[in-house]
Amino acid sequence: KQSPKIMSSMAYNSASGLSGMLKSGHSHWDHAVIRNIEAAMELSTMIHTSLGPFGRHKLLVNHLEKIHVTSDCNTILRELEVEHPAAKLLKMAATMQDEECGDATNLVVSFAGELLRQTLDLMKMGLHTSEVIAGYQIASEKIQELLPTLVCKQVSVQTASDEELSQVLTPVLASKHYGSHEVLAPLILQACKVVMSPSYRVAPEAVRVVKLLGSSVSASTMIPGYVAQRGVESNVTSIEETCKVCVFACGIEASSTEAKGTVLMKTAQDLKGYNISEETKMEEMIQGIAESGVKVLVTGGVVSEMALHFIDRYKLMCLKIGSKWELRRLCQATGATALVRLGAPTPDEMGVATSVKVQQVGGKTLTVLKTPDSKLATLVLRASTSSVLQDLERAVDDGVHAFEQLCRDGRVVPGAGATEMALSLKLHQLADVSPGLDQYAIRAFAKALEIIPRTLADTAGFDATQKGG
Amino acid sequence: HRFNSIQHYQAISKMNPGGLGMRPGIILLREGTDTSQGKPQLISNINACQAVSDAVRTTLGPRGMDKLVFDGRNVTISNDGATIMKLLEIAHPAAKTLVDISLSQDAEVGDGTTSVVLLAGEILKQLKPFVEEGVHPQTIMRNVRSAGKLAVKKVQDLAVPFDMKSQEGNEMLLKCASTALNSKLIASHQDLFSPMIVTAVKALYDANALDDIMDLVAIKQVPGGDVRQSFLVQGVAFKKTFSYAGFEQMTKKFTNPKILLLNVELELKSEKENAEVRITDPDQYQSIVDAEWQVIYDKLDACVKSGANIVLSKLPIGDLATQYFADRGLFCAGRVEDGDLKRVAKATGGAVQTTTNGLYEGILGTCGLFEEKRMGEERFNVFTECPMALTSTLVLRGGSEQFIAESERSIHDALMVVKRCLQTQAVVAGGGAVELEVSTYLREHALTIEGKGQLIVGAYAKALEIVPRQLCDNAGFDSTDILSALRRKHTQDADGKWYGVDIANGSICDTFEEGVWEPSDNKCNSFAAATEAACVILSIDETIISPASQDPGAQATGMMGGGQAPMGNMMGEALDQVNAHKGGSRSGNLGNGVRYMKGRGGA
Repeated sequence: KQSPKIMSSMAYNSASGLSGMLKSGHSHWDHAVIRNIEAAMELSTMIHTSLGPFGRHKLLVNHLEKIHVTSDCNTILRELEVEHPAAKLLKMAATMQDEECGDATNLVVSFAGELLRQTLDLMKMGLHTSEVIAGYQIASEKIQELLPTLVCKQVSVQTASDEELSQVLTPVLASKHYGSHEVLAPLILQACKVVMSPSYRVAPEAVRVVKLLGSSVSASTMIPGYVAQRGVESNVTSIEETCKVCVFACGIEASSTEAKGTVLMKTAQDLKGYNISEETKMEEMIQGIAESGVKVLVTGGVVSEMALHFIDRYKLMCLKIGSKWELRRLCQATGATALVRLGAPTPDEMGVATSVKVQQVGGKTLTVLKTPDSKLATLVLRASTSSVLQDLERAVDDGVHAFEQLCRDGRVVPGAGATEMALSLKLHQLADVSPGLDQYAIRAFAKALEIIPRTLADTAGFDATQKGG
Repeated sequence: HRFNSIQHYQAISKMNPGGLGMRPGIILLREGTDTSQGKPQLISNINACQAVSDAVRTTLGPRGMDKLVFDGRNVTISNDGATIMKLLEIAHPAAKTLVDISLSQDAEVGDGTTSVVLLAGEILKQLKPFVEEGVHPQTIMRNVRSAGKLAVKKVQDLAVPFDMKSQEGNEMLLKCASTALNSKLIASHQDLFSPMIVTAVKALYDANALDDIMDLVAIKQVPGGDVRQSFLVQGVAFKKTFSYAGFEQMTKKFTNPKILLLNVELELKSEKENAEVRITDPDQYQSIVDAEWQVIYDKLDACVKSGANIVLSKLPIGDLATQYFADRGLFCAGRVEDGDLKRVAKATGGAVQTTTNGLYEGILGTCGLFEEKRMGEERFNVFTECPMALTSTLVLRGGSEQFIAESERSIHDALMVVKRCLQTQAVVAGGGAVELEVSTYLREHALTIEGKGQLIVGAYAKALEIVPRQLCDNAGFDSTDILSALRRKHTQDADGKWYGVDIANGSICDTFEEGVWEPSDNKCNSFAAATEAACVILSIDETIISPASQDPGAQATGMMGGGQAPMGNMMGEALDQVNAHKGGSRSGNLGNGVRYMKGRGGA
């Protein structure tokens, strides 16, 4: 009897080529590259419809069943849980872009996908991957060379007018949340100007966002300072003048020992005096704080009822902030140092606020701390659905990043695919004069660049081929 | 290079050992991830939204029906859109958008929560044919957005301003409150409630404290009695608290009393839990006992010495203290709810004290009149003629708990409507009049648009008609007849702009004349929100659902809320049915995205 193995090799099927001759399970290198490319392309096709102002949104339900409706590439990739190793590389590239620039992540993925698609054609033509890589490298070096020549405008943060600056911000915002860019651009501009350091630098994390459901985007506002999404504990709810702020990382309560302890009383006098002594101690402390000139107490922990009683008696304001992160932000805004033990702060440990006020917005209570020459700005965003709110938050983040980049390098190039088309044209010319096999890869690279204007037209509902021509 | 690729490939192909010739599917995303895209996906999202809006549509208007929602523990009977949407535990990712707008309408305006969902659902329904025919969703969205903007602007143009100061202003508010109550369970008692609501809100308006409405106006549910026994106290009222012996000997009526507010327990008990007394000499025993009594007597003494006539405490006031105060002609009440105590503090100008040491005149509150009143079977402590005349308390009576709960929601809505009215000081006519007028305007405007936009704006205009149509349907009228009469009135008659559905007679009437008024902000917000929601749904081109992680921590975060609500199931089935009919699904399992109608965490 012949073994089935030999049978199968005997039944050599010329149609399946080389693979027909080999043991089952074998894979051919060429095949592997192609499959990697296909995986990356699949991811990129999934993403590229979200490019640009008219990019379509994705509805994502992540593994915690949280819902996102977004066209932000970085968010989509983060929630997608990409498994394929080759596709993961694309995701990493996008993540790096986000960390570096905070924007244009979709461009990275779409363009990489298109490059791979072109590679596929080149491979079918018979080009070896190493030749393709060489060609792409030449093209990419050429682009770095060409880009500075395409700069259309030099915007300097120091001198530029608000119109000029918002002109740069608008396309960034429009591509994130079209329709609200007109509202957001001036707000982000204001916020960035508020937090700009004397050396004209902006730290993106200095612009905070508070999201409130209800009303519409146009009701969003910018507040120079800190906004807490809760009311105050004390009876005093509004201080309209410049006041000192003291931040405690610990709770405002009678300190208790960590180890279990029992208060031992020996005489009747001890018993009578016990509560009184606790009260006097708390009063002394609050009094001390009040006498140091502090008007607003902020705490990261609990406020005991006794403490609150004296806080009210000394007409202080008390705000509780649960998150350590938020507390640090507030310190940043007011310039206060967070104290870890109770007691009156020294003058340089105090922060300053120009006004502190509890407000009702959209059925939610907010405490607004306005600060002088603030190092922190808060955007209060409004929208009627939470998915829009999340989108707006990302748009603000991208906008602030764009501004930050503008601070570093004021050169701008035309958007909306114009730069890509110009580069593509130049690369085509380069390809025409390149000898050797490189020219095919360079040409493919040039062609791949066209994906940007093509997609923009596609997603907006126009005829892409017509616009491309 | 090459080697790596091969390894990668093998790693991947392990998952699908198809072998030679058979191309294993590329596994791009985590196993179990569901993706669906394109037109069918969009249509199925629209269907889900429609199913949700169908679920609440019958509650619209004065003749709307109520929903009974059973969530496994409690029964809620309501026709408040936001309440129903909240209780339905809708888990469909796209349909959740509708829950969002309903809640945002509730937070922002407080009323009109049903109509906003209805409107969003109808806009999507009218646009569905365009999606099916292959019009690019971006084209649709662009036009819907512009139509939405025009609609809001038109409402603002139509709004009739009124002067608060005049007598008419008051009438206006009454009518707005009545309109809001009209569609609720207590519609037949609006003559009783409307003036109460207006009085309560106006007190706040005069003091410029409208924002604190939720803190300052309390609604107390006291089951029993009759609805007509409900009453408003301009001041603070709360039910008599638990009392000890000696209570009945107290004086229960004071004029201009001084009120002491405490957060102190006035009872004989150990001072501190971790305190321990150790005595070496048995003779000291009595002195310790005496000292304990001394501590409480000192506290009581301090209260009396402060000059207060009334002592209220958040914590219990024991029988010793009750007797002590009764002997000295004081009134006391312990275990007063926190909110009530704070309201008393606000109204009387007092401050809540956590210790009885260092009491002084300044922390005492005062009011014109305090008395214990008997209403039906219940007794109330009532503080009136307070110096800060801001707070009011509405005491609701009624037969069943559900009835009172629904009454409270209705009153809340009406309060918010009156508040809105005072803030914007402009009204439009209800009864579907303003929707039809805007619809007529958009229809005319559509004719000036070239291209596809004309049809889309036209569809939006048609969608607005759902409000009067549904009003008729719910009341059992022939909606086609009435709607055509209304359309004629609005297009041909110059004075016909306020014509809406006449619910009483089953015909049409000038609703503005009839006094069916709503704050214009209400309508602006609901048009804007519905438009935004429709755009969000239309903008989705792909739904990707990752498999839920099995991490128990995820459940603790309470993403999906509780459990096996039968209504949830019903909704799920309804949605499934809708989808089965429309054939929107791409991959049979969960492609249409309609799943998880049941929360996970509950079991």
